[in-house]
Amino acid sequence: MSTEGHSGGREDDQVLVAEYALGLLEASERAALARRIAAEPGLASDLRLWRSRLATLDDEFAEVAAPSGVLPRIENRLFGATAAVSGGWWNSLALWRGLTAAAAAVAVVAIGVNLLQPRVDPSVLATQLVAAIQAQEGSGVEFVALYDQASGQVRITSLKGTPVPDKDFELWYIKGAEPAVSMGVIPVDERLEIPLDAAAKAGIEPGTVLAVTLEQKGGSPTGVAQGPIVAVGTITPI
Amino acid sequence: MSSTASLDIADLIARCALRDRAAFRDLYTRTSAKLFGVTLRILKDRSEAEEALQEVYVKIWQRADRYVAGGYSPISWLVAVARNHSLDVLRARKPVSDDIDLVLDLADDGPDPEQATIDSSERTRIDGCLDELESDKADCVRGAYLDGYTYEELATRHRVPLNTMRTWLRRSLLKLRECLSA
Repeated sequence: MSTEGHSGGREDDQVLVAEYALGLLEASERAALARRIAAEPGLASDLRLWRSRLATLDDEFAEVAAPSGVLPRIENRLFGATAAVSGGWWNSLALWRGLTAAAAAVAVVAIGVNLLQPRVDPSVLATQLVAAIQAQEGSGVEFVALYDQASGQVRITSLKGTPVPDKDFELWYIKGAEPAVSMGVIPVDERLEIPLDAAAKAGIEPGTVLAVTLEQKGGSPTGVAQGPIVAVGTITPI
Repeated sequence: MSSTASLDIADLIARCALRDRAAFRDLYTRTSAKLFGVTLRILKDRSEAEEALQEVYVKIWQRADRYVAGGYSPISWLVAVARNHSLDVLRARKPVSDDIDLVLDLADDGPDPEQATIDSSERTRIDGCLDELESDKADCVRGAYLDGYTYEELATRHRVPLNTMRTWLRRSLLKLRECLSA
């Protein structure tokens, strides 16, 4: 290491990132380093190295059966009062509607930080909400969903992907802690307009997650997704 | 529940993103002993560890969609959520910051397939690299990671002044990094 000179900066950074991964930094130092890591790819990749290597120590955490009362308490908390899921101002539909009415606000959804931003036609942005439903696990399937509140329709456009023999893609929306709700089977090679019922209209808002799963022909017969998730996108205002 | 029996942990996490409660229950059944082991080891207090476990699974449910977009190995991601939360509780006497959450966000930034699987050779590698350190110093690294010890606690446990501990551990981390990235 001494051959690299004594500039100190690089080594200091390497130590800082290691201390960060181990949890040794004071709160203020951690916060400062977190900002740098977010801005400096070199530090971020160093952190990934430390995390993946240190994770191999995870074996040393011995398993201890959890007390039987814990799961019911968690389920009660998550599902007993479903409204308790963390939210923000953007989850306020009333506020959001107010904003859109006042200013024709535009929302773009983007997920998958390292993925390309969707190429969205600017004229299309004049509508209400946009979701980029990006590929998962190399599925190569991507969609853009546009929700036009005036018409109450979601227009889903396939950007990438090919049909799978004997299977169909099915679109779901997931709001807060509630189970996924099907919006029907969608094609991969054309544009489709899906009229929404009242419940779905209330469900589609910034923060709602849209997901596409691969299901048997005609879609899941049970109303619950059964196949793998091939694309996901969260509706987030910009 | 039988419908989720054949799914692996990654699938169960993905199902949680779809708000599948049966999958969540299955995920809990399969992983809670490990994660309780984490919260218990770091917090060293059963009722605090139990409380933490509850918070950890609430976070897992709420953030399952972020896992889907990331490239962590599934069990490492779960352990990281449990470990970070436990450290947060442990350090709660100090000024609260939300950067533990930030740590998780960063952990989930973008696919990184190389991290998706940690094979046994990597396991051997960190053990080998730790073995290259003096045993005292390897214990400090393990203590920081597995027990959440601070520099102060490590200094007390090894009966050396705080500054000595800092110097020790920082040098050890540089050596370890060199070995791990070789």
